[in-house]
Amino acid sequence: MRSAHATELSSSSRINRHMGFSWKTYLKRYWTLYLLLLLPVAFFIIFRYTPMTYILLAFKKNNILLPPWKVEWVKNNGFDWFIKAFKDRGFQTSLRNTIFLNLLDLIIGMPMPILMAILLNELAFPKYKRITQTVLYLPHFLSWVIISSITLRLFATNDGIINKLLGTQIPFVGTEGNWRATYIFLGIWKECGWNTIIYLAALTAISPELYEAAEVDGAGRWRKIWHVTLPGIRPTIVVLLIMNLGHILGSEFDRPFTLSNKLVEGASKTISIFVYERGVMGQQYALSTAVGLFQSVVCVIFLLLSNSLAKKFGERGIW
Amino acid sequence: MKRILALVLMVALIASLGVTAAFAADDGFVDGKFTETRHITVEVFNRNNDGGTDPTNNVWTDFIKQQMLDKYNVEVEFVSVGRWTEADDIGNLLADKKAADVSYTYNYNTVISYANMIDENGNPGVIDLAPYLEEYKDYIPDLLKLLGGEDNLYYDKDPATGAVWMIEGVRADTARITTFIRKDWLDKLELPLPTTEEEFHNALVAFRDNAELLLGADADKMIPYTTSTDIGWRNDLLSVSYVADDISDETLFVYGYDDRHLLYPGYKEGIRTLNKWYNEGLVWKDFGLYNDSTVEDDNMKAGYVGAFMHNWDYPFRNGDDCINLNLQRNVGEDAMFVAIDCFQNDAGVTRKFMGAAVGSDRKIFLPSTNDEPVASLLYINFISSEDTIKYLQTGLENTNYILHDDGAYEILPATGEWVKNSGNNIDYTMTCNGLYLGEATGATTALSYPGIPAEVVITANEFGKNNGRYPLHYNVGTIESETEVGSSLTSKRDELLTKAVTASVEEFDSVFDSYMDDYLNAGGQDIIDERIQKLADVYGIIYNK
Repeated sequence: MRSAHATELSSSSRINRHMGFSWKTYLKRYWTLYLLLLLPVAFFIIFRYTPMTYILLAFKKNNILLPPWKVEWVKNNGFDWFIKAFKDRGFQTSLRNTIFLNLLDLIIGMPMPILMAILLNELAFPKYKRITQTVLYLPHFLSWVIISSITLRLFATNDGIINKLLGTQIPFVGTEGNWRATYIFLGIWKECGWNTIIYLAALTAISPELYEAAEVDGAGRWRKIWHVTLPGIRPTIVVLLIMNLGHILGSEFDRPFTLSNKLVEGASKTISIFVYERGVMGQQYALSTAVGLFQSVVCVIFLLLSNSLAKKFGERGIW
Repeated sequence: MKRILALVLMVALIASLGVTAAFAADDGFVDGKFTETRHITVEVFNRNNDGGTDPTNNVWTDFIKQQMLDKYNVEVEFVSVGRWTEADDIGNLLADKKAADVSYTYNYNTVISYANMIDENGNPGVIDLAPYLEEYKDYIPDLLKLLGGEDNLYYDKDPATGAVWMIEGVRADTARITTFIRKDWLDKLELPLPTTEEEFHNALVAFRDNAELLLGADADKMIPYTTSTDIGWRNDLLSVSYVADDISDETLFVYGYDDRHLLYPGYKEGIRTLNKWYNEGLVWKDFGLYNDSTVEDDNMKAGYVGAFMHNWDYPFRNGDDCINLNLQRNVGEDAMFVAIDCFQNDAGVTRKFMGAAVGSDRKIFLPSTNDEPVASLLYINFISSEDTIKYLQTGLENTNYILHDDGAYEILPATGEWVKNSGNNIDYTMTCNGLYLGEATGATTALSYPGIPAEVVITANEFGKNNGRYPLHYNVGTIESETEVGSSLTSKRDELLTKAVTASVEEFDSVFDSYMDDYLNAGGQDIIDERIQKLADVYGIIYNK
């Protein structure tokens, strides 16, 4: 796909240089393709970019009865809500929690599907492999609401099934540290299988000849994984890593909200919950828009940084 | 040809002008009734209850619609708002300009937030009712009667601007929280009904120590005292029994932001007592983990719970599925929770801090998208009339109730179309929460819980307001710092109390104080300061601690 595209480009630049490029002939030839492209572009403009005008709300007085461009600006050159947010203890805590939980997810949660994909790839019986795969995907389709109530039945400190069986009183979800561990564990349990899909696809793209060559050179199973499989999926890993870093300040709502309880709120309040409490429950739409905008800007910065870093280390990056 | 056409057009234009003029001359409101049918939309909560009906279209709404049409020539259409997603739903409807013409919410700040926003016509998002209340005063006698006079009609009148953004609903029955205990367990252990905190504590200890006797094989499931993370509500009577009896009205106002009384001086000691109980194994160990009441309710129904504090009718509500009837089925005929009133303060009085009859219930407001403020006001009056409320609460004789000789209405179990989606249809009687049947109210309340002995109900209701103190209303207008915090302080309060109760006895002080610091820093202190300031500004009262 990519190489075909590259050829196309080089051929058109050749036309440009040697034969005298003419937009007319070019468009005459490819206008249908551009016409087709109009549809997705229109979609993005209407449903993605037009709503973005409401970002203005972050710099305006709290008013949702008027379009934001008609509302008055706030103090401090329009940055009053940002200043308020950063002075707010609730925001500071939620910012810290969001970063911490996302980092844990990244460090612990990200390698898991890779391991799982390699494991699956090494399985010899195709039927067993397929069944395992399906079973692993299923938790992805459960909502966090359901998972959270199952979690309590299982992990409650005194009445939970696990503690009853073990005869212990381990507060799996009752102290902040343990709750974080449970939170990460449940995230892996739910999404790990689903996230293997993309790695498995990457694995199939590795040429079998490489494995054969490695075998000829006397490589065992570990050596093959280390020198063929992992390098083979490295571009995929890097792309996913970049995208995950782009989410470092992003935050889900359902997961921390449903899993949380009053004993661990110090660890579980993320930015999304802050926005819910202030914006939705407290009608502070401008403040929460400011927080959301801050979140997005940081995410974009992270995305750009990690992308350029990846390119520096010789990877292809995501664009 | 052209000339004729022009002539015809001219005539048509003049004719239409004439028609418009005729309309303008008559504002359509003659002798308390509209000459042309008007249309308004009215909010109603949707509780999505099992076996319930469509809240916007059922026999009760039919009655309201017909009456409004007959009385005022006003057509009523209901708009449902999720009871449990009230704040989001109303926000969405307002932003979408689709909010009901007559809207209500439990949250004062919701109304104020929108009153502070300006719409494209330069008007506030909520209609200022002051001019309408003045001009149409003679058309709202029922509302005035229900509210008990003009003072309460103007309860929320801004002292500075004179604007009235909302009308307060009435809490017909102010009974709030009552303590309940398993009478059959006390009998089994030959203990009296507790009348002091000490006796209550002794009973809990006895429950804990006699788990084998009381629960047999399920002894490990014993919960002497249960609570939820809403400790402010679920432990209120114990907590406020540590507040000095001679506390002043100003103090109650200055520290009165939190409706659970968290900031009242002395409150902490009540929580300390609960913390002690928790560490003695008297309180449900896992209460802090649950965000809703299902598990706790199941524990009560299964008979594992010895005592708790909750809404005065908690063990009786929900008809056949109520806690006491479940207990009887699961445990035995004599198993039941009965009310006690045992937490005395320094003056030896079982003091309770009540929500006032006016000011602590729903707030009715008209969004600026409302084109029929007069028709809406008439609706508010209609829904506040004794006859309307009586019909909505009782229904038809012999179909929905049997009239007793003493005047009490015995409400029959509702089935099919007659099911009320909310208790006493309070979602329709937006200005009135609680039975409002004049002299028949007390006797009817006692009969309102089929299967529960009348005296048990009456005692619980009386204990829910016994020695109640009603806060004095200081009308200082909007307190800005309160509108900024949203639900974040409520959530912080629950966190504070849950953490403090579950801490070890040694750590109690440090946990309570550090979370209280956090609460104050997160906006609590600003609110206290602003209340002190407003008290000085509006009433000239200089508040000293």
